[in-house]
Amino acid sequence: MVEVFRHDLVIVGGGGAGLRAAIAAVEADPKASVALVSKVYPMRSHTVSAEGGAAAVAREDDSLEMHFKDTVKGSDFLADQDVVDYFVEEAPKELTRLEHWGCPWSRDEDGRVSVRAFGGMTTKRTWYAADKVGFHMLHSLFQHSMRYDRIVRYDEQFVTKLLVDDGVVRGVVALDVREGVVKVYLGRAVILTTGGAGKCFPFTTNGNIKTGDGMALAYRAGVGLKDMEFVQYHPTGLPGTGILITEASRGEGGYVVNGEGERFLVTRDYGVGQKAELGPRDMISRAIMLEVQAGRGIKGPYGEYVHLDLRHLGEAKINERLPFVRLLAKTYAGVDPVFEPIPIRPVVHYMMGGVDTDIDGATSLPGLYAAGETACVSLNGANRLGSNSLTECLVFGARAGIHALRHAAASGAGNESRLAEMGAAEQARIDSLRGRKRGAEKIAQIRREMQESMERGCGVYREQPSMQETVRDLDRIKKRFADVSLEDTSKVFNTELTAALELENMLDVAEAVAIAAAGRRESRGAHACRDFTTRNDQEFLHHSVMFLEGGVPRLDRKPVTITRFQPEERKY
Amino acid sequence: MSDSKKVRFVLTRFDPDQDQVPKTQEYEIPVRPDWKILDALNYIKDEVDPTLSHRWSCRMAVCGSCGMMVNGEPRLTCSTPLSDYGDVVEIAPLANFPVVRDLVVELEGFMDKFKAVKPWILRAKEKAVEEGTHRQTPDELHAFKQFSMCINCMLCYAACPVVMNSPEFLGPAAIALGHRYNMDSRDEGSRERNEVFRGEGTVFECSYANECTEVCPKGVDPAAAVNQAKLNAVVDWATSFVVPRGGGK
Amino acid sequence: MSVPANPKAMAPHRPGRTRTAPPMRPDGFPSAPRYRTYLLFDATGLTYLLAGFAVLAVAWSLGSGPEAWARALETLRSPIAIAFHVLVLVSAIFVGVRFFRLFPKAQPARIGPAKPPPRPVIHAMLYVAWAGITLALVAVLGGFLP
Repeated sequence: MVEVFRHDLVIVGGGGAGLRAAIAAVEADPKASVALVSKVYPMRSHTVSAEGGAAAVAREDDSLEMHFKDTVKGSDFLADQDVVDYFVEEAPKELTRLEHWGCPWSRDEDGRVSVRAFGGMTTKRTWYAADKVGFHMLHSLFQHSMRYDRIVRYDEQFVTKLLVDDGVVRGVVALDVREGVVKVYLGRAVILTTGGAGKCFPFTTNGNIKTGDGMALAYRAGVGLKDMEFVQYHPTGLPGTGILITEASRGEGGYVVNGEGERFLVTRDYGVGQKAELGPRDMISRAIMLEVQAGRGIKGPYGEYVHLDLRHLGEAKINERLPFVRLLAKTYAGVDPVFEPIPIRPVVHYMMGGVDTDIDGATSLPGLYAAGETACVSLNGANRLGSNSLTECLVFGARAGIHALRHAAASGAGNESRLAEMGAAEQARIDSLRGRKRGAEKIAQIRREMQESMERGCGVYREQPSMQETVRDLDRIKKRFADVSLEDTSKVFNTELTAALELENMLDVAEAVAIAAAGRRESRGAHACRDFTTRNDQEFLHHSVMFLEGGVPRLDRKPVTITRFQPEERKY
Repeated sequence: MSDSKKVRFVLTRFDPDQDQVPKTQEYEIPVRPDWKILDALNYIKDEVDPTLSHRWSCRMAVCGSCGMMVNGEPRLTCSTPLSDYGDVVEIAPLANFPVVRDLVVELEGFMDKFKAVKPWILRAKEKAVEEGTHRQTPDELHAFKQFSMCINCMLCYAACPVVMNSPEFLGPAAIALGHRYNMDSRDEGSRERNEVFRGEGTVFECSYANECTEVCPKGVDPAAAVNQAKLNAVVDWATSFVVPRGGGK
Repeated sequence: MSVPANPKAMAPHRPGRTRTAPPMRPDGFPSAPRYRTYLLFDATGLTYLLAGFAVLAVAWSLGSGPEAWARALETLRSPIAIAFHVLVLVSAIFVGVRFFRLFPKAQPARIGPAKPPPRPVIHAMLYVAWAGITLALVAVLGGFLP
C-alpha cells in the first residue's frame, strides 16, 4: 500500500521560491501545515549558484517608476505591467525581510546595505552579499524555515505526477529516491517551484538538477507553458564548463574585449549605447556572437570566445567584491583575473518562460500554483534583467504561498482512496521503468542529441529552417526515448531511474521551447531571428502559450497587459 | 580523446539490495587534462556503467553535493583537479557517514545536528519591515561573515577524529553555524545557543585537531568557531551569576 | 583498507531508515600525516607525566638525606636521563608551536570595542613573551641574578 502524507499545502521544490512560499504560508496562518517536497536537500537547490545580486529600489536617487521602466524595457515590452508594478513595490520589503532573517548583505561604512550597478538598470539598485548572493539567500531562507516545525521537509523525493481529481489538484505523487517506493503527498493546494530547464541545452550555467520537472508536470496536466521561446543566454560563462561569471563583474566595472583587445561594446554599435558593458544580457550575448563571427574572437579548445577583463579593478576590489569570480576563474579556467583576462562566451542561463500563472501565482488548474523560474508570471517578458530573478523568487514565492493557502482553506479534501489508487498506479509505472529492457537506446546518448539539437535550433541567433529541424529532431528523439533500456535494477538511490524521469521531462519542455520559438516570426528580446530581424508589434505583441493535448503540442496566444508604458523602440 | 591518457578509478560500490558490505570496482577510462574528479565520475556513469550512483549538481563548488573521499582525503570532487593525482584514483563515500548506496551517504544525522544549534536570527522582538533594515557596519559583518560561508558539504565531518568515535558530537559545521548567529550583531539568541553549547556532545567534545579547517574547501575555519564558542559558552555561564537571565544580549 | 568508525556516527536520531553500510573512518587513521601531528600532540602528555614523576623523585631524595640527593644528581647526569629531558624539551617546543598556531584564532573576534591586532602580530607577541619568560626563568633558576 502506498504511504500517504496529508498537509494543507504541498510545495514542490526547496529553492528560493519554494522556501519563501512555505515561510509565507506558515507565517500567514499559524495552524497551516506545509509539505516541502524536493528532489534534493534544500541547500543543494540551484538558487545557491546565483552570484550577482537581487534588485530592489533602496536609495534616494532611485524610484519604483525607474525600476518599473527598466524592467518593462528590458523585457522588450512583453512583461505584464501590472505584475511589474506589484513586483517593484514589494521588492524592497522582501529584501528587507531577508535582511531581518540574517542574510549577510554587504554593507557601506555607515551600516546601510550596499547596492551595485547591473545590466539594464539605470541606477545602482542591486543588493549583494559579495558575489555569492544566491548562496546566502538560499541558506538564510533555509535556516529561517527551520524554525517552523509546521514546514515539514520531505527531502530527495522526486515528484513524478500531479494528482488531479475532478479537475482539481489534490496533491502529488513522488518517488522516494532513497527507498525506491512512491509516496503520496496530499494537499489542498500545490505550488510548483522547481526552477528552470537549462539542462535541455548542452552548454549552460545551470546545475544538473535543473531539468524542467515542474514545467513538465504542469504541461502534462493540461496547464499552458507561456513564453517558452525566450531562453536567456548569459554573456559571460566559462567556455567548456559553462560556469557562470557574474554580471556583477561588469557591474563593478569589468570590460568585455575581443581578440584584438578592443572594447567592442563601446567602439561598435550593438544597441547598448552609453551603457556599454552594462547593457542587457540579450544584446551583449548577441554582440559577442557577432564579434566571433566577424573573426575577432579567440580560438580555444571549446570553440571561440572573447575576454572579460577585470585587471584594472585591482586586486583589493576583486577580493572584496568578486572573490568567488576569482576563485571560479582560477579553478575552472586556470586564469587569475587579477593578472589575466577571463575567457567567456554566451551560455544558456535562464528560462523567461514557464508555467503560465496570474499575478497570484495561480494556474488555470484549480489548486495548482507556481513561482520562481518554473513559473511565467510575466515579469521578465522576452528578456530578464539581471538581479530581478532572485527578487522574483521572494516576491512571487510569498504571494503564491499566501494565495495557495487561501485556496486550500476554501477547498475540501479529495477522495482519498481514489488518490491513493492513482499513487499505486504511479508505483506500477515507475517499477516497470526501473531496469527495464527495451532497445539499444541509452539515456546519455538521447540526452546529448536533444541538447545538441536545442543548441542548433534555439541558440542566441535563430532562423526558421533550423528551428523547424529541431522540432522534427525532438519528435524523433521522443519516440526513441520509448526504446531506452535501463540497467540499474536497484531500488535504492537509483540515479539512472531519476535521470530517465528527468530526460522525459526535458524532452517535453524542449519541444515546447522549439515549437514556441518557431512560431514567433519576429525578433524580440532574447528571441533573435536572422530571417525576421525586427520586432513586430502588429502581429506578435502577445504571449505565446504551449498546451499539450492528448500528447500533441499546440501553440496558442494570450494578450500582454500594458498599463502606462506604451511599446517604443528598445534602444539604450 | 584519442591521444589522452588513461586513469584507473577504484570506486566503492554498495547496493543494499544485493551487498552485505561495500566492495570496490575498477574502471579504466580515457581522461582529459582539464577534468575534475567529478567529470570522470560522470563519464563513467554516462558511458561505462549507468548503475553507479553519486550526488552532484552545480559543478561549481557551491551546492555542496559532491563531497567524497579521494585517495582517502575528503574532497569536493567538482573542484578537485584530476591532474593532482596519478594513474590510480580511489574514490569512496565520505568517511564517518553511513553509506546509502555506492558514493551516496546518509545526510539525516547531519540535518538533525544542523537544526540543534537554532540556525536562525533570534530576537526578543521582531523588527517590522516598515522599520527598514538593521544597520550593520562592515566590521560587524566581518565578525561572522566567514562562518556564514559553509556550503554544508560535510567534508569536515569526514575528517574529524571526534565525529568518528562520538556519535553525539554536534560537529564542526553545525557548531560553526550556531557561532555564526551568535556573532551576528542582529541576533539576540546567544544565551539560548550557549545553553545548547554547554550540553552533552557539543563544543567541549572538540579536542582541537583542526582537521575540519584543513579540509574545508571554502576557507571556513570551523575549528576557530568551535573554540571561540567554548570560551563564549564559559563566559556566558560565568556572567549568568552576575547578570540575571532574561535581560538583553 | 579503512576501519569502521563508531557504527552510530552521523546516523539519524530516529529509527526506520534502514539498509545503510556502517560508517568508515577516514583512510589511514591514525597513520596519515595529518592525523600524526594531532596524535603526537596528544601523546606529549605522556612525557609531561613522566617528567612530573622525575621531579617528584628528585624532590623526595632531597628530603631523604645527602646521599640520596647525591645519587639523584648522579642519575640526572646519566645519558638516559639527559635524553629523556631533551625529549621533554622537544615536546614542550612542539606543543608550544602548535598551541601558538591554533590559540590566537580561538580568541573572540573582538573584546568590547577593541579589535585584536592582526594574526602575525599576535603570533610574534606570543613568541616574544615565550622567549622572555624562558630567559627570566633561566636567569632566576640558573642563579645568574646578583
